[in-house]
Amino acid sequence: MALIKVEDLFFRYPQAKAPVLDGLSVAFEQGERVAILAPNAAGKTTLARWLAGLYPDGGLVAERGHVSMDGKPWPQWSAAERAAAVQFVGQVPSQQLTGCAFTVYEEIAFGPCNLALPEGEVRARVEQALAVCNLKHLAKRDPFTLSGGEQQRLSIAAALAMQPRVLILDEPTSNLDPESRDDFIAQLDALPAGLTVIVFEVALRPSLGLARRFMLLDEGRIVVDGTPETVLAHPRCIETLGMTAVARAAFEIREAGRWPEGLALPLTLAVAEQSFREAARA
Amino acid sequence: MSSRSGPQSGQTALLFLPGDSLLHRANPLTSLIFMLWMISAAAVLPTIGTTILIVAGVALSFAMGVGPRVTKRLVITMLPLLVALLVVHGFLVSRPDFIPLVGPLTYSPTGLEYAAQVVTRIGAMLTASLIFVTTTHPGDILKSLDQRGVSPGVSYLIASPLLLIEPFSERAKAIRDAQRARGLDLTSTFKARFKALPALLIPLITLALSDLDHRASILNSRAFRAQKHRTVIDAPPDDRFQVWLRRVLIVLAIAQLGIPLLWR
Amino acid sequence: MLDVASVDFAYPGGNPVLSDIAFSVRRGEVLAIVGRNGAGKSTLLRLLNGLRQPASGTVTVDGLNTADTPVHVLAHHIGTVFQAPEQQIFNAKVHDEIAFGPRQQGLTGAALEARIAEVLGRIGLADAAQLHPLDLDAAARRLVALGSVLAMKPPVLLLDEPQRGLDANAMARLEAIVAEEAEAGTCVILVCHDMDFVARRASRVLALAQGRIAADLPTLDFFTSDELTRKAGVEVPDPVELARFLGLPPVLTPSALAAKWLADHRSA
Repeated sequence: MALIKVEDLFFRYPQAKAPVLDGLSVAFEQGERVAILAPNAAGKTTLARWLAGLYPDGGLVAERGHVSMDGKPWPQWSAAERAAAVQFVGQVPSQQLTGCAFTVYEEIAFGPCNLALPEGEVRARVEQALAVCNLKHLAKRDPFTLSGGEQQRLSIAAALAMQPRVLILDEPTSNLDPESRDDFIAQLDALPAGLTVIVFEVALRPSLGLARRFMLLDEGRIVVDGTPETVLAHPRCIETLGMTAVARAAFEIREAGRWPEGLALPLTLAVAEQSFREAARA
Repeated sequence: MSSRSGPQSGQTALLFLPGDSLLHRANPLTSLIFMLWMISAAAVLPTIGTTILIVAGVALSFAMGVGPRVTKRLVITMLPLLVALLVVHGFLVSRPDFIPLVGPLTYSPTGLEYAAQVVTRIGAMLTASLIFVTTTHPGDILKSLDQRGVSPGVSYLIASPLLLIEPFSERAKAIRDAQRARGLDLTSTFKARFKALPALLIPLITLALSDLDHRASILNSRAFRAQKHRTVIDAPPDDRFQVWLRRVLIVLAIAQLGIPLLWR
Repeated sequence: MLDVASVDFAYPGGNPVLSDIAFSVRRGEVLAIVGRNGAGKSTLLRLLNGLRQPASGTVTVDGLNTADTPVHVLAHHIGTVFQAPEQQIFNAKVHDEIAFGPRQQGLTGAALEARIAEVLGRIGLADAAQLHPLDLDAAARRLVALGSVLAMKPPVLLLDEPQRGLDANAMARLEAIVAEEAEAGTCVILVCHDMDFVARRASRVLALAQGRIAADLPTLDFFTSDELTRKAGVEVPDPVELARFLGLPPVLTPSALAAKWLADHRSA
């Protein structure tokens, strides 16, 4: 059974004419690393909130379909169960803080304390999250005085301390400089293998290191779902999100009629040299 | 590693000064009840008593290593009040015992007495509060409330204003900068500044509302209030002596307030 | 057009944030300011638009010394689009948000409407004129913020991470606007982490490292220097690296790479 399953989800915000999610279906397995690419206004943040169980909420309900985890739709989950099952880290780092903690340590401990876990267990979880997110040296700092990148690491650490089975991240690399981004990718690789990580992204190049399964969300539906190569080569993906720089160069060579037929356009620098040499031999 | 609120977290701790004095080491509830006892004493004592209370309070604050900060705040707050009350009650409010002073000026001894009574009373209460907030970190108050089983909602109501003042004023500054950099005049006439108000307030309010929305879902997803009780880590230490001291102080505070009422 | 002469800056009681900064930007130039988080980019931006004053040295914008000119006056000479558009948007309609700047410049009636229509066309939001800016998606909001500054027609444009979160369509709009502005003689300054964008659009790169200028070079010269890109902590764009691997002459953009490759392999 799929871990998280979205079935024919049709959702629009109250008073909106067009639906944001238009009969969307998709499933995620345990331990998967998935990148969902989405152009602007495709329904990215809305889908993220549905996957995280933040919707349905009050008047925000689906007109059709539902999202379930372990085969159980979200409304059947208690708040504590859901918090221990899935965590969502949104786009703006300062908006991911609870506003209940005077220190980084307390911010991370806040969730586990709410679960009424024994003190030793809380401490063990906080120490682990501090280590994974490289925050040990900031443990005593006031969360609101951290830089954007540090706040982002903190919000991920606080999410991890809940020991969720699914972690959902909305544009996690957009506030990071290249060095912090590399650190972040290394940090994602260091997460427990059983953890499902779903990342939403607009930028192509940074997302390539984040996942092995890719999808394109467009106009409220998953248009294509597969390897990075298939998704990034999909015409709709090229139209809405463009191409990586090396793919663009290869594409222009193909347009000029000089790229060998059957040779895939390279996506990353790592494979590009090989492909270009092969094209040159042809 | 301890998360006991250290000096580095002072930024959101308002007036708190880190230290190792008796009051710093005391359980926050003991300090809180000591403050309430002092306030109740200030409410009933005559002027001479409240004056002694202020002097004793200031002396205590120096003994606890927070003297300069307490004195400074006390003077800044009380001085304008002192002047205003003395002028209003001593010279302006018409009283039967007006005595001519110089020229058209008259003063009233009972008016001055009344002013002194009000000022020393407020001063003593303020001294008590200042000693409390300078020696007790707000985070520790919350932990001891949590430990007592006080609803997390109440703790949040106390904590969040303290914690969110800083980011809120940062945000206000950023908005102000952004609007000036697109031509908004915030320096010239009052009218121009008044007209500029929406450009400053609307983004501030919109963003505060959006923050509120986000914060609600963050709290939700961190299981806030999902259980009846929450775990308290690094709870401030307490002991039997302090428990008894608090009981005595509570009884004293109530007696102080009650006895004069019954006797009169 | 913009001149920074031996500027130092430190926050009160803090370590120096910027030291010994000197450069000038001419009309029609697109200058990218790059460097790690915390290298001093945001502070430099605030020195340029007058929100901060240098501790020593001078900043001159369009002939005005920022020390003697109120920020709101300077705003008509240097237009800033900040990172968070939510911090500057306050009108209930996109149309009025765009109108805010030109109205302050005294533009009214048909001239004002023409200016607004022109800007809405350039940012591709003509259909959204009557919508609430905060009902738009993040990318469109960024374009509204850009439009509200473009509408003032400042001779210097200061864009802080303008490419963040834009999809291909919005990015094409932004790039077209940067190119048109440079063409029209505006001096465009980008503070930017996306090196592909810098490689495509900037004519010159100013790299900051620990509050000092680590490099001030034409874009191609900067990216082909390993030492300087490493010092500034920026990524070398893939086409630059690939051209080097393949032994092609240095290039910046995918199109240039394709062209050089095709030229090199014509004989085959």
